[in-house]
Amino acid sequence: MRHENLALHRFALFLACCTAFLIFVGGLVTSTESGLAVPDWPTTYGWNMFTFPYSMWVGGIFYEHGHRYVASIVGFFTVVLTVWMWMREKRAWVRWLSTAALAAVIIQGLLGGLTVRLLLPTWVSTLHACLAQTYFCTVIALAVFTSPEWKHGLPLVKARTQSVPLQTLCIMTTAAVYLQLILGALMRHMDAGLAIPDFPLAMGQIIPPFTSGKIVVHFAHRVGAVIVASMIIWTFSTIARSYRHERLLFRPALAMLVLVIVQIALGATAIWTAKAVYPTTAHVLNGALVLGTSFLLTLRACAMVVMDISREYRSAV
Amino acid sequence: MHKRTILLGALLLAVALAGACGGGNDDDLPPVEGGGSGGGPTFDMSKANATVSGKIAFEGTPPPNDKIQMSADPFCQMHASSYPVAETVKVNNGGLENVIVYVSSGLPTGVSYAPATQPLEVDQMNCHYIPHVFTIRTNQPLKVKNSDMTLHNIHAYAEKNPQFNVGQAVQGMVNETKFGLPENAPPIPLRCDVHRWMGAFVGVFEHPFHTVSKPDGTFELKLPPGTYEVTAWHEKFGKKTMMVEVKDNDKKDVGFSFSVADKAAD
Repeated sequence: MRHENLALHRFALFLACCTAFLIFVGGLVTSTESGLAVPDWPTTYGWNMFTFPYSMWVGGIFYEHGHRYVASIVGFFTVVLTVWMWMREKRAWVRWLSTAALAAVIIQGLLGGLTVRLLLPTWVSTLHACLAQTYFCTVIALAVFTSPEWKHGLPLVKARTQSVPLQTLCIMTTAAVYLQLILGALMRHMDAGLAIPDFPLAMGQIIPPFTSGKIVVHFAHRVGAVIVASMIIWTFSTIARSYRHERLLFRPALAMLVLVIVQIALGATAIWTAKAVYPTTAHVLNGALVLGTSFLLTLRACAMVVMDISREYRSAV
Repeated sequence: MHKRTILLGALLLAVALAGACGGGNDDDLPPVEGGGSGGGPTFDMSKANATVSGKIAFEGTPPPNDKIQMSADPFCQMHASSYPVAETVKVNNGGLENVIVYVSSGLPTGVSYAPATQPLEVDQMNCHYIPHVFTIRTNQPLKVKNSDMTLHNIHAYAEKNPQFNVGQAVQGMVNETKFGLPENAPPIPLRCDVHRWMGAFVGVFEHPFHTVSKPDGTFELKLPPGTYEVTAWHEKFGKKTMMVEVKDNDKKDVGFSFSVADKAAD
């Protein structure tokens, strides 16, 4: 039984990796402007999507149809995970969380179809992008909650005296990253990625003239980047100072710091290359990884950091 | 355990339904909305006996067009050597091709124009739109044809008319549509999202006084006597206007001039 549950955890981890890949493929669709290369849904040029001949996967169809294919596989794996959870997982709330992941992936598929049928309205496409990140976090949570270390109990750490408790700080950081991803998705789907075409200045100034909504959204995304980077540096420095020996906290914090540096570099490259496909798409994927890492850190911080260890142990006993 | 089995069954059913719902490929382009050529008596086209003609000149060295990368589709790649660059700026002997020239104001009010019933055709051939720029009347049938042995989607980025996006998977496939509302400032971009280099522009007019400059940059309009604002629009260089006054059977030579300094509005 224990062996099977480890397999369940590994499968959840595998699904999280598949989801990251799916986010990359979805990013490719937008970067290559292929979102409407397949005008019908759920069919593909009238074919059942699974019988659409590979020889016809040309031009933008390759990206859009490929995205649908990978999404279907992720959807199928989510069904498998949910069924597996309901058969083997003892904790009801984890089973229901997997059901929520399944609901999210179904809604995500419907939103994907809706945005194609409605010719990519900004709000539907943005919602589609945001739900992708939410689903990604849900799968990460499932992988965390099914991990042996979580089930056996993470090591408890006494909270250090800080102006902002670590848990609160992590939650704030994750919320900031998520809001930043919403802004990023909005910017992408408004086609505002080059509304401010220079970097690090904005139209040669520190604050650009706000002559259009696209410039406002783009600049908000840059301001968001500064806020997110600051929050991540704050979180990392807090952990490095007070929880350095807690590898379950330190490692994701360090990873998050590295990822946000890479993220800023990718954002700058996307502008300098006039939204070249791969830097821009890598920016989308890396953004998801920043969120995922921050979310993982938040889960661990909430589970590990306690005010009074002895009381926690007593209550556990 | 029994409850779980039922729940699992329900979940699987939901997924299956989600996968099976919706669907079908649209065979025809969507119907048009609104339009018509207005009320009032039908304008007598025999009165359009004055000729306004000229040349769209391009001053200076034309900017290079973007290179086209067709390797994403083996069929298109076979024709890549014939179309190494985009058709954005085509200049021959100082004449600029693919400029829409039309009367933008000064036409008599309270009249209607006989509907244009002859269908126009835009063909997708060798992974290009032919013609690249054209004009059409409101409610005039437009046939969109796929002459290629590959898939295309025809996507009209209309602003006043309904947008549409329809796939043409089979060679020889023809779809027909109409635009019910005038849309010419700017014209409607047509795009293929499968092949991003494929683009065309269609100017939709309620009246018949419009044309597109030929390969040598020349154009000709037949107009009734009057004073008109005539506009010339190019996809890269934007638009220019001039006032033209013509009398019965006049032949007036006018010209527009574009240069690299001109830029289309976003």
